[in-house]
Amino acid sequence: MDMLSIDNLCKNFGGVKAVDSFRCAVAEDRIHAIIGPNGAGKTTIFNLITGIYEPDQGSIQFDGTEITGLQPHQIAHRGIARTFQNIRLFPEFSVLENIQTAGHLRANYSVFEGFVPSPRRLRQERAIREHAMDLARMVGLADRAGEMARNLPYGHQRRLEIARALALDPKLLLLDEPAAGMNPDETQKLIEFIQEIKERFHLTILLIEHHMEVVMELCDHITVIDFGKVIASGPPAQIQNDPLVIEAYLGVGA
Amino acid sequence: MSVYVQGIIFLSCINLIAVLGLSLLTGFTGSFNFGQAGFLAIGAYVSTIMTMKLHAPFAVALASGMLASGGVSFLLGFPTLRLKGDYFAIATLGFAEAVRLLVENLEKVTGGSRGIVAIPTKTSLTTLVPLTLALVWLMRNYIGSRHGRSCVAVREDEVAAQAIAVPVFRYKQISFFVNGLLAGLAGGFLAHYVGFIQPSMFGIQKSTELIVMVIFGGMHSVTGAVVSAVILTSLPEILRAAAAWRLVMYGAAVVFIMVVRPEGLLGSWELTFQSLRNLGTGSARLARDLYSRVVHGHA
Amino acid sequence: MIWQEIINGISIGGVYALIAVGYSLVYSVLNFSNFAHGEVLMLGAYVGFYALTALHAPFWLALGLAVVLGGVIAMALEKIGYRPLRLRKAPTLYFMISAMGLSIFLQNFTLVTIGPNFRTYPEVFSFAPLEFGTLSIGSLDVIIFVTTAFCLGLLTWFIYKTRLGVAVQAAAYNMRVASLMGINQDLVVSIVFFMAGASAGIAGVMFGMKYTVYPWMGALTIKAFIAAVVGGLGSLPGAVLGALLLGITETFAAAFVSSAFRDLFSFALMIVIIILRPGGLMGVLAKEKA
Repeated sequence: MDMLSIDNLCKNFGGVKAVDSFRCAVAEDRIHAIIGPNGAGKTTIFNLITGIYEPDQGSIQFDGTEITGLQPHQIAHRGIARTFQNIRLFPEFSVLENIQTAGHLRANYSVFEGFVPSPRRLRQERAIREHAMDLARMVGLADRAGEMARNLPYGHQRRLEIARALALDPKLLLLDEPAAGMNPDETQKLIEFIQEIKERFHLTILLIEHHMEVVMELCDHITVIDFGKVIASGPPAQIQNDPLVIEAYLGVGA
Repeated sequence: MSVYVQGIIFLSCINLIAVLGLSLLTGFTGSFNFGQAGFLAIGAYVSTIMTMKLHAPFAVALASGMLASGGVSFLLGFPTLRLKGDYFAIATLGFAEAVRLLVENLEKVTGGSRGIVAIPTKTSLTTLVPLTLALVWLMRNYIGSRHGRSCVAVREDEVAAQAIAVPVFRYKQISFFVNGLLAGLAGGFLAHYVGFIQPSMFGIQKSTELIVMVIFGGMHSVTGAVVSAVILTSLPEILRAAAAWRLVMYGAAVVFIMVVRPEGLLGSWELTFQSLRNLGTGSARLARDLYSRVVHGHA
Repeated sequence: MIWQEIINGISIGGVYALIAVGYSLVYSVLNFSNFAHGEVLMLGAYVGFYALTALHAPFWLALGLAVVLGGVIAMALEKIGYRPLRLRKAPTLYFMISAMGLSIFLQNFTLVTIGPNFRTYPEVFSFAPLEFGTLSIGSLDVIIFVTTAFCLGLLTWFIYKTRLGVAVQAAAYNMRVASLMGINQDLVVSIVFFMAGASAGIAGVMFGMKYTVYPWMGALTIKAFIAAVVGGLGSLPGAVLGALLLGITETFAAAFVSSAFRDLFSFALMIVIIILRPGGLMGVLAKEKA
C-alpha cells in the first residue's frame, strides 16, 4: 500500500503558482526523493503535507486516510515527522530536553497530574527520558545530553533534529535537505545513518535533497519538479537519463 | 515580628501568586501579557462583592474571584491567543483598560473611581504563606512535566512545536486560564488585605510592576520568580524615599536586563536538591583550585 | 453635521497617520512593535513647547528642533535598547520587553524631572477658521493637515525616489539579503529610526498644539499601533489609511455614543479587522516561512 499518496496538489501565493498539479505516491518502506532546482516548490510541498499551508486544490492521503486540511499537530500525531531546511531546534533546551519534548506522545498523563505528580506520571516520565537517551546515544550525542541546543555545532544540530523527529515514533519521515553543508565524508555517514534508521524503525522516508550522490544511492524512487510541476518520476537510473530532467536541472554531478 | 516585616511578607506573597501565573504565561509559554492588572481587578472586585454584598465566606469569595478571572481569560483567549506576539500584547493591554473603564463606569456596583472601602481584612499569614508555597510547588511540578516542556516548545518555536505534535493553541489556552485563576486569587487576597480597592490600583503601573518581576527572575525559572517577587516587593518599601524614581529605575533595569542578561537573575537555574549539591561541589572545587594556586603556584 | 465630524476625524487622523507611519516603518524593517515610539512623540512635544516658551523661538524653528531631536533620540534608543538584541538575534519578545522598559524609563524620567503638570502650547496661529457653508475647519487643523501631508509626501519621496530610500525598502523586504548585497544594516536601521523619530517629533508638536502636553501622552502610541494594524502592519499607505479610518471612527464614537468609551471603540475596530482580515486592509500577510 502507498504510505503517502498525493494527487493534483495546487498552491498559489498571490498569483504565483508555487505548486501546480503535483502528484506523487510513496510506497511503504521505501525511500523517495523530491528533487528540483532551487525555488521549484519542494519545501512548499513539505509544508502542504505537514499542514502548515492549506492546499488550494488536491488531496493528500496518508496511510489510507485523508489528511488534507488537518492541523500540523494533528498530522504529526498521526505519524508524520519532519526536519526543517533551516533547522528548528528549541535553543533554550538541552539536547536531551529537545528530544524529550517530542516524547510526549508516549505519555498520556493529564494536566492535573502535571501539577500534582502521580505514580503514573513518574513512570511515564522515566520512560520518556530513557527513550530520549536511547535516541541521543543513537545519533552520537549521549555525552552532550545536557548541553544547550544552541551551543551545538551545525552537524550535531542536524543530528539532534533527526533524533527529535524519531521520538515521535513516526511511520513517515520527511527530511528537508539533510545533507546540506556536509562534506563527502559526513555525507557518506549520513547515507549509512538514514539506511540504519529506516531498517531499525521501519520508516518510510521522503526527502528533499540537492546532493545527487545521496539521492542516487539511497532512493528507490525520485520525483523531479520544476516551477511547481512534476517533470519526471521514476527510479534513479531512469531519472539520470531523462532529457527533460537534464535540461532543467542536472549537469551537476550525477 | 514587626508589622512592617509582616506587611512585606503579605505583599510579597500576593505579588508572587500573580507573578507565578504571569511567569507561566509570559515566561514559559512566551505570550506577552501586558494586562495582568485587569485580571487582578476582576478577582478583587468579584471577591469583594461576594463578601460585602452577599456575605459569603472568604474561601467562597476567593474561589469566585478566581473563577471569574479564569473564565474571562478563557473567553478572551479565543479571539486573542491566535494573534501574533505584538497583537496579543496590545489586546491584553486593551483588555485591562476595558476592565478599568467598565469598573469606573458601573458606579452602583463597583463604587466607580472612588472604589470600595472598609473591606473586611480576612487575609491572614497562616493561610497565605502556606498556600503561596503550595502554589510554587505546583507550578514547579507543571513546568517539569511534559506539559511544561510543551509550553516552552511553544515559546521557543511554534512551527517546530506543531511539527512534534504539540497542540499550540491548547497549551496557550491552558496557560492563559491558569494565569487567570492565579491573578484572580491574588486580587482577592489583595482586596482583603489592603481593605480598599480603586480602579487606579489596577492600571498599567501594576501590570508593569508584575511584568518586571517576571523579567527580572522568572522567565526561565520558577525559583527566579520567587526571588524577584520578594526582592522587588521589599525594595520599594525599603527605598521609600526614592519612591518617585522607582519606576525610572524599573525602566532602566528592564532595558539593562534585556541587553545584558535577558534570562534574568537566575537564568534557568532552579532550586533543587541536585542544584544545591552542585553548588556545594562547585564551590568546593573552586576553593581547592584557589588553594592550589596560592600555595603551589598552579592549579 | 456628519461632515463636520468627518473633518474632525480626518484632522486627528492626520496626526495619527504621522505616528503610525513611523511605527510601521520600524515594523517593516525590524519586525517588532516599538512600544517606546510614543515617548519620542512626547519628548518632541516638550521640545517644541520649551522652544516656543523658554527660547521664544519662531514656530518653524521649534518644529525643526522637535524634528531633529526626535530623530536623534529615536536613533539613540535604538542603539541602546535594540541594537544589542538585534546583533544577538534575540527573539521578538525581548525587543518588546526592552521597548517597554525604555517607554517606562522615559515617561517616568520626564514625570520626575519636569513634573506632571499639563502644559499648553502658546497660540501660534490665530487666523479665522475656514468656512465652507455649514462646515468650518479651525486654523490649527488646517496647519496640522498641511504639515502632516507635507511630511508624508517628503517621506514617500525619500523612500521611493532616493537611493538610500531604496536601500530601506530592500532592508524592509529582507534584511539579511540586503546586507549581503552590500547594504549597511546598521546605517539603514539608524536612518529608519531617525525618520520614525522625526515624524513622531512633528506629531508631538501637532498634538501638543491641538490638545496639551503631559508626560504620559506617549500612550497615544497605542492608537498608532491600532492604525498601523488596521491598515496592515508594514505597509506605509496602509498606516495612513488605517489612521484616517481610526480618526473618523473615534470621532463618530465620541460624538454619537459616548466619549468615555471612545478608546474601547478603537480597540474594537482593531479586533474586528484582525479577525476578518488579519493582514490589515492593505497589508501583505507574511506567512512565516518554514
